[in-house]
Amino acid sequence: MSDELKLIDAAKGGSVDAFTELVRGYRGGLLRFLLTRCTNHADAEDALQDTLINAYRYIGSYNPQWRFSTWLYRIAIRNAGRLRTENLAELGDPAADGADPLGHCLAQSERDNLWRSAKRILSDEVFAAMWLRYVEDMSVRDISSVLERSSSWTKVNLLRGRRALEAEMNGTAGNAGSEAYG
Amino acid sequence: MDKFANRLREDASHIDAEISAQLDSRIQASLAAIEPAAMRRQGPKRRPAWFWLASSLTGVVAALAVIAVLNVNDVDEPAAVPRAAAGNTVPPIGVIDLDVRAATLTDPLARELEYLQADLKKAEELVRGDVRIDF
Repeated sequence: MSDELKLIDAAKGGSVDAFTELVRGYRGGLLRFLLTRCTNHADAEDALQDTLINAYRYIGSYNPQWRFSTWLYRIAIRNAGRLRTENLAELGDPAADGADPLGHCLAQSERDNLWRSAKRILSDEVFAAMWLRYVEDMSVRDISSVLERSSSWTKVNLLRGRRALEAEMNGTAGNAGSEAYG
Repeated sequence: MDKFANRLREDASHIDAEISAQLDSRIQASLAAIEPAAMRRQGPKRRPAWFWLASSLTGVVAALAVIAVLNVNDVDEPAAVPRAAAGNTVPPIGVIDLDVRAATLTDPLARELEYLQADLKKAEELVRGDVRIDF
């Protein structure tokens, strides 16, 4: 049995320490991912906290046939979506006012960050698929599970997203961006 | 890994996602306040082998007890309805003294026949008088 599975078993038994140790390596990546999906830093932190709380509370439902990170990201996406819906209901859509969700967590020298372009030209789901593929190194099967989409959808939109971003990266963005909305 | 993938990974690392001590302590406090929910519902407990025998015996004993109670106690017959009371509500059935007479339904018809024959006779005499012939 791997160390991760031992920690999962201990966490299922109610060990907070085991759970903390288990998620220690995922927290940074989760927060970075949530920063791309929430409207501000505080919301992303709230979403991270909710994600970890839900993961601990429902760790009994975790199925070891999936990677633990897949399960965590699935919870994170749901929490980010719920938080965003609540914010939209209360404050309206910040993006409609030209807000830049990644602007506050990127240094001035990083304004040409490709993920910022991705945020602008890709839909939320295609963006998430690209992130999970290229940053978290997930398989198509895992991405499909996280996004609750078919493998075909994931493959097609990863390809379209890549094409659109490559065009952006090479400064040849034309119609490629419009087909990346899956 | 190709240039595109490297670029994406590198750019992602430039996004500031440091977990502050405050956030860390907040998460720890939240986790300490909860405990994992029991996700698996416990199935019905497996009953011992003698459970069915015991429940069968209990049922038989209960049935015998009910039978015994019903047979030992005197069963009261249902109270009879007083005849007087019944008489007040149900009329006595006896021989009814009917005044029977023969119906004279044919009288009017016989009388009518007589009238018609008389009319016929009168009409015959009138015609005979007019033509002065005998039929």
